[in-house]
Amino acid sequence: MTSQTFGADNKPEARRAGRAIRQRFAAWAPVVVLALLCVIVALINPNFLSPGNFVRIAQAAMIPLVLGLGATFVILMGSIDLSVEGILALSAVILSLLVLNGANSNNFGPLAVLPVMLVGAAVGFVNGVVHVGLKVPSFMTTLGTWFIGVGVANALLGGMAVRINDSFIRGLAIERFLGLPWGVWLALICLAIAFVIQNHTRLGRYIYALGGGEELAALSGIPVARVRILTFTLAGVFYSIGGILAAAQLGLGNSLIGAGRLFSTITAVVVGGTALSGGEGSVLQTLVGVLIVAVLNNGMVLADVPPSYQIGVQGLMIIAAVALSIDRNVMRVVK
Amino acid sequence: MNAPADNPVLAATGIEKSFPGVRALSNVSIELRPGEVVGLVGENGAGKSTLMKILSGVYQPDAGEIRLAGKPTRFASAADATRHGVGMVFQEQSLLLNLTVGENIYLGNEAQFTRFGLVNWRAVYASAARQLAKVQVNVDPRTRAATLDFATRQMVELAKALTLEEHASGRLVILLDEPTSVLERAEVEVLFARVRALKARASFIFVSHRLSEVVELSDRIYVMKDGAVVAELQAAEVDVKTLHRLMVGRGLQAEYYREPLQRPFGDDVVLELEGLGRGDAYRDVSLKLHAGEILGIAGVLGSGREELTRSLAGLLPHDRGRLRVGGREVRLSTPADAVDVELGYVPRERRVEGLVLFLSVAANITLPSLGDIARRGLIDLGEERKLAKSWVERLRVRTPGVDALCLNLSGGNQQKVVLAKWLNAKVRILILDHPTRGLDVGAKEEVYELVRAITNEGVAVILISDTLEETIGLSHTVLVMRDGVVTHRTSANPGAKPLQVDLIGHMV
Amino acid sequence: MRTRIARLEFDRIRQWMPIVTLALLVAFVGVFQPGFLEPTTLMQLASDTAVLFVLATGVTFVIMIGGIDLSIQSMASLASVIVALTVSRWGYAAFAFAIAAGILAGFLSGVAHVRLKVPSFIATLAMGGVLLSAALVLSKERSITLQTSERGYQTWITGTLLGVPNVIVIALVVLAVAHTIQSRTRFGRYSAAIGAGEPAAYASGVKVDGQKIIALVLSATCAALAGVILAGRLASGSPTLASELLLPSIAAVVVGGTAITGGVGSIWRTLIGALIISVVRIGMTFLGINIFAQNIAFGAVLIAAVAVTIDRSKIPIVK
Repeated sequence: MTSQTFGADNKPEARRAGRAIRQRFAAWAPVVVLALLCVIVALINPNFLSPGNFVRIAQAAMIPLVLGLGATFVILMGSIDLSVEGILALSAVILSLLVLNGANSNNFGPLAVLPVMLVGAAVGFVNGVVHVGLKVPSFMTTLGTWFIGVGVANALLGGMAVRINDSFIRGLAIERFLGLPWGVWLALICLAIAFVIQNHTRLGRYIYALGGGEELAALSGIPVARVRILTFTLAGVFYSIGGILAAAQLGLGNSLIGAGRLFSTITAVVVGGTALSGGEGSVLQTLVGVLIVAVLNNGMVLADVPPSYQIGVQGLMIIAAVALSIDRNVMRVVK
Repeated sequence: MNAPADNPVLAATGIEKSFPGVRALSNVSIELRPGEVVGLVGENGAGKSTLMKILSGVYQPDAGEIRLAGKPTRFASAADATRHGVGMVFQEQSLLLNLTVGENIYLGNEAQFTRFGLVNWRAVYASAARQLAKVQVNVDPRTRAATLDFATRQMVELAKALTLEEHASGRLVILLDEPTSVLERAEVEVLFARVRALKARASFIFVSHRLSEVVELSDRIYVMKDGAVVAELQAAEVDVKTLHRLMVGRGLQAEYYREPLQRPFGDDVVLELEGLGRGDAYRDVSLKLHAGEILGIAGVLGSGREELTRSLAGLLPHDRGRLRVGGREVRLSTPADAVDVELGYVPRERRVEGLVLFLSVAANITLPSLGDIARRGLIDLGEERKLAKSWVERLRVRTPGVDALCLNLSGGNQQKVVLAKWLNAKVRILILDHPTRGLDVGAKEEVYELVRAITNEGVAVILISDTLEETIGLSHTVLVMRDGVVTHRTSANPGAKPLQVDLIGHMV
Repeated sequence: MRTRIARLEFDRIRQWMPIVTLALLVAFVGVFQPGFLEPTTLMQLASDTAVLFVLATGVTFVIMIGGIDLSIQSMASLASVIVALTVSRWGYAAFAFAIAAGILAGFLSGVAHVRLKVPSFIATLAMGGVLLSAALVLSKERSITLQTSERGYQTWITGTLLGVPNVIVIALVVLAVAHTIQSRTRFGRYSAAIGAGEPAAYASGVKVDGQKIIALVLSATCAALAGVILAGRLASGSPTLASELLLPSIAAVVVGGTAITGGVGSIWRTLIGALIISVVRIGMTFLGINIFAQNIAFGAVLIAAVAVTIDRSKIPIVK
């Protein structure tokens, strides 16, 4: 959605060093923001520092984190993924229909998680294939699968909600290990896996390469199409895990379970410092972004700010985060 | 290095390549012998870049054959070519700036360091350090490419090209596409030393505009002109002047550039630059441009002439010095400012910046001057068509109609529409940035005639061109720039045109 | 050369596909359910399409200039809340106030987009959040039903003119005005140029930033108008009144044949697109198809429409 031209290449040492410092700083800025935020909220309401509150923050952050991991990979590649809500809803609904529930007599237990993740992968795969094969911009393809995902979820349930009675799934949200719900641990495992993929596999490096310059990446022999499809598929898996956690948290599955989550996912990724143009950022930065949003919301609750303000504040945060991260030395056509 | 003419490492025969409207290569044959450095020279548009891209697998030839060590080969892609041992160091850099040096060197080739899907980065960096040592570059492979200067990145590119030897057996072929354009003398020497040291293992094709360097480094030299190979010489037997003559051919043709139509210009100063500068791109540029004058600016990549003209077009604002149009000081921060002072810009990238391809000829012609045909806020479409039709007639634009999309016009006609656009806007100053690039001879001549007609009516023109010949032929005055400053200034009146070799000394 | 000609011809055919599709769809439904083709049914269909059309018209301006507006549904909802809250106090001025809010919101999105260099997708997504917040706060998170006395002010929406429902008249007025803007004003020409070739438009002296702001203002204003109309039809205002309408609006623009990348398109195409969406929706109901299966059909239709109408030659690298 953007194109770039660079100015003169011959910068003197000082300016280049300055740029390097600024980039290093830019990567740490979100952490600083998070720290400041914690201090401010703690000052407003010391209850912020209680263990119970930390657990609350962790619970609030676990789903956005998992969703954010998927979105980060797609954004690093320079594309965009709007299908978060669709895949999440579809996954939650299918899960709710496979485990012990109030609508049918299925009882596949924890094993149900596997087909659900497969569905997530499949939809992500469709995103990738349509994008690459029909050359439809990722924005449009994922807009379509968003619709389809919610639609299929709707079709499966006929607009109703299904109660989940499976103890394992419910346990993800309710049962704790070392004080934190199992779901949080699952999210952390996802983070670890995402980190390994990002930094220690070729796929991770190729994703950055695509984001940094697709033509150059292709010249170096990187299988662009394959990387694209794989990345969208991977993102789909993460979104489906998010759906599983969401179903666990709510105790039911319905087609509206994803509403509004695209917004918070993009906020987290962007606020964490990952560039929308691709090539810069990381899943760890998304973790920071997720925490910033969670702490902010938590802070607003502790400060007795009505929940209706939260979404507006998040909106302003997105704009600020993106505006501040634009490198003005790079002229671009902004779409 | 007098190796017997064994099986050439690389031999291309009868290569043909055409793009829409232009024949880039016709029946080109060259060969590269073991341990040789072959120089390749020619003007812009001669076909050197296209040939290199075919040899490196980026383009496919329309016809002709490539043989590697005697075996016919087809490269499906650049990656395929590297697998066969052919690598290229690009003119426009090919490093991904957001990755580290080590990641760039092994980009696409990490498989050798990967176990169970996980990449052993430590091994990658150790290996990268070894490659960098080969080209004597003292850089930590973990540094981000963006923080390095151009010259260092160039050396990293060379190191990357040399990684070929790790996974290609047989002799390597390394294509160097203008690798020295922005290097200092000392850095050039390092590069040459490395190349000479590597001759045992690899053969090189060296493309450059710096003829003296080509003579210095190469064993043999091919000269290309207008898409064909016109000469093959031993480097020891040739000098710069001869090379140049072969590259350019017949000497200036006064008729071609319509020199008889070149009229002297008056005293009316329309544009004045006083100590203009922008960052590192250019500085202390002062000049006066008169109505009816064509001012050509000569210079190679990095001379600053391109940034200077884009500053005047409002695309790259200057940060030092003063700019006066018609006596009034102005600041051109955007192209809209330039249009306000009746200054137009015919860009190099015609299809990107010159025309909106998916709009009609008429819409393109009226775009900067819609205010003239708008009554009470609404565009008078009838008048627009009339206006467009008259321009199409005057400039003899070959188009199915003024409603046809510019996409479907040939390059020459597209360029005429761009000119029509600015003439319609009644500009008094016109900047021509490589105005005949990509046009065939006939179209070029039409453009030259138009330029003459325009200037004879009082429009002032600033010209940058691909070829020195065109610059000299068209201009009244020639300015030469190097490394951001003006190094020479001469008049170029018909009958007293300067020689190219006189100017080249000030360019490089 | 031959492929170029072949592609031109395909392009010409492609231009007519939306209207042909609409005709075929109407015929298809009519064959199975002749009641569908009765004037009263078709009039009802047109009325139901009005809100969607007004919304889609606004976003057409933004899409044509090469961007997107993801805040239209929140703006429409906010406008409905503003009307519901203030019509009893301010009467007709309430409508003007809601529209003014749209102008302001669009302007702010525009400034965020051009001054702060935030991509339109983000700027409007964020603005959508802010507008939703505003609507939630103002309405205290509830739906506000209009009293009978207040509904009196809305007869200009709910009434009829010479037998034609007013909403259709309003939509036709919007069509006329929007079409004139898009095809006859300088803004319309500039936005087509920017959408089809921003670097060339910029280099030709078009003040790109200003045009982008205008496009976003138009979009938000149309959204506000749509919200006002919706408040009239449903006699209520709520923060989520229009939340389901974002995707169908964008779908309407794209299905009509306007390129999602911008430059090529028109308001007429949006009208056809909106009608197609409506016909599919209502037609499917007529045919007894599960309403939830309709959502799936939409998604598939959307992707298909884009795949067919998108001009790949314009996009060397598809991101």
